[in-house]
Amino acid sequence: MKLKILPPHLRNKKRYLAFEVISQKPLTREDVIYLIWEAAAGLYGACGTSNFDLWVVKIWNCDVPHKNVLKGMLRCNRAEIDAVRAIIPNITRFKGGKVVSHTLGISGTIKSSTKKFIKLKE
Amino acid sequence: MFFDFHIHGNIELVKEAERLGYSGVALVNGDHNNHKSPGRDRNHHSSEFNNHHPPEGYKNHPPEPGIGVGPPEIQILNGVEIHPKNSQDLKRKLQKFRKKADVLMVHGGDLKINRAACEDPRVDILCHPYRARRDSGVNHVLAKKAAENRVAVEFNLKYLFKTRFSHRYRVLSQFRDILKLQRKFKFPLIITSGAHSIYDLRSPFDVMALTRCFGMNKEEAYTALYETPRQIIEKNRLKGRIIAEGVVLVE
Repeated sequence: MKLKILPPHLRNKKRYLAFEVISQKPLTREDVIYLIWEAAAGLYGACGTSNFDLWVVKIWNCDVPHKNVLKGMLRCNRAEIDAVRAIIPNITRFKGGKVVSHTLGISGTIKSSTKKFIKLKE
Repeated sequence: MFFDFHIHGNIELVKEAERLGYSGVALVNGDHNNHKSPGRDRNHHSSEFNNHHPPEGYKNHPPEPGIGVGPPEIQILNGVEIHPKNSQDLKRKLQKFRKKADVLMVHGGDLKINRAACEDPRVDILCHPYRARRDSGVNHVLAKKAAENRVAVEFNLKYLFKTRFSHRYRVLSQFRDILKLQRKFKFPLIITSGAHSIYDLRSPFDVMALTRCFGMNKEEAYTALYETPRQIIEKNRLKGRIIAEGVVLVE
């Protein structure tokens, strides 16, 4: 049997954080997820990270010449958004290559976050 | 409006910094390879920048005018980082480079050099006083002197990102120690990236979020990223027109 979903006032409030990852070596979706979890665990540990309700919603592969650029979206707890934002600059390297990550913006819904910050070409 | 006063690099880095939202950067040359005048180097960068076509985003969102008004939308300053051997060497090098540099930095880490730098009003920034140390490299004596002479103490994020996870706690606690002294003695603080490549630059709002991890609040982070650099620019603009402390030659 499936659990009945919580009424809205009892659910955790969410925020969506759009970010980009630029790397020397090409990265896959799994690599980005691993990088984020590692950075979160390195900065706050398991105890701190458990507060954030972190979830990688989606990763987009961007076609930028001579650069490996990925864009992605994180879901997290609304109250902890500043702490989650601090995780993003902590991504520094992966398998001997340099990696850098920047926050593109924070939004309340997936739709507006995609429209405003990810800006995919149609 | 944010500034990053410690970038080693070329025009590519400046463009990336502009994309991330910085309104001014200081390109830093070391004193060891200074055969040519650093001032000339800055002009070289600026002219290269002017020739470059602005990225497409510019047409839609022209940057707001502000301090960095001029042909390059991002203000490029000329920084010199001096690596003194001892305090006499520091004085000699200060005399040599002070007039040429917009921002003068001292490579800290050694206690005697930290102290000599804090005691000299010609120094703008004392870089990473905690470098290769277990303690923070700043105590109450140095803090008092730095506040008197308006020498800014630098938090270099390079030391946070480039150390291993297992050693980052030390850098964070050194930052915390300096911050504790800063709250008491009110010397200026500045946050810089120390970037050598585009992979070392972080966007200013991400840096502000990160400063929470060593106990800075939003106002303090804003002061360190904007107010302190602005004061340094202002101070050096008046350079040569100050007759005595508090007296400025207007015309």
